[in-house]
Amino acid sequence: MTGRSVFGTDPTVAAVRREAFLRGARAAGPALVATSIWGLVTGVAMIKTGLTTAQALAMTLFVYAGSAQIAALPLIAADAPVWVALLTATVVNLRFVIFSATLWPYFGRMPLKRRLVLGYITGDISLALFMARYGYTPAAQRGNTEQIWYFLGICCATWLSWQPMSIIGILLAGLIPGQWGLEFAAILALIAITVPMFHGRPAVAGCLTAGVVAVLAAALPLKLGLVLAVIAGVAVAMAADVFAERNTKGRAA
Amino acid sequence: MMSSGEIWLTVAGLTLVTIVTRNAFLVLGHKVALPERVQHALRYAPACALVALIVPEVALQSGTLALGFGNPKLIASVVAAATLLLTRRAVAAIALGMLAFTLIRLL
Repeated sequence: MTGRSVFGTDPTVAAVRREAFLRGARAAGPALVATSIWGLVTGVAMIKTGLTTAQALAMTLFVYAGSAQIAALPLIAADAPVWVALLTATVVNLRFVIFSATLWPYFGRMPLKRRLVLGYITGDISLALFMARYGYTPAAQRGNTEQIWYFLGICCATWLSWQPMSIIGILLAGLIPGQWGLEFAAILALIAITVPMFHGRPAVAGCLTAGVVAVLAAALPLKLGLVLAVIAGVAVAMAADVFAERNTKGRAA
Repeated sequence: MMSSGEIWLTVAGLTLVTIVTRNAFLVLGHKVALPERVQHALRYAPACALVALIVPEVALQSGTLALGFGNPKLIASVVAAATLLLTRRAVAAIALGMLAFTLIRLL
């Protein structure tokens, strides 16, 4: 039985794990439209830049980071030095350092090998969905079996929607005309995921700040604007949180 | 265009960069004690990151702010967001957004 080996041999534990895994995969459902389109667009973009099929396949399977891949492509096309492409991708990926800090209270105590696997599969969307469900978990209950397998369910569904679509994009790039504006469909898909996350004043304040900073800092080299926007957004959301807390305490007293 | 060797080097480098950034805290986190307040605030990070990815794509036209009716991406995004809020269907929002985007560009 494959089910047994994946979820463990103890039937009670396996049932909890399987249930959480499937719940996670289901929660990813609507977002999979977005990841599929993004995967397809990224696959097409790699070939249109001039990568060979082998290079594009290696990039999608090993790098598995859409925005960093897309940021590196114009630099590859322009024959920029390799280190400039890598530095740009690093800055684009800096938000993952923040994401990694977000997940640490949950998964920081797991064995190293498992943490590395979790790191590889964590994307923007999987983290967003996980935090939407478990972001308010009290410190003592973070990182239990249910949460780990829920997260795995989201990440596996995301990976399985991204990779095949990206490979289809790589193989069929020649058939997809540029005028369709498929890249924009990817942006619309991200909007469809993001809008439901504007919950409560701290989140709205943080997102507004992130949007404004991202536009103001868009001209900065190396795509530094992205990480600046995330830091500013989180800082403002935190300040709004503190402010809201004081207000409620003030009223209670 | 980079040479084939340089592209392979870039792919290898990108793999390393992604591994390091995604695992930075997961591997070294126990050495940096994050205050509870910061841990709390980080739950806003994913939404902020998504907004920071989206807004420049939608609001900027070749590097300048375009917040008027002349920006098809902006109008289409508003259509998509409104559809989502009204129907709660992601696929409908993307489809109507693309329809608006295509119509505005054709007209």
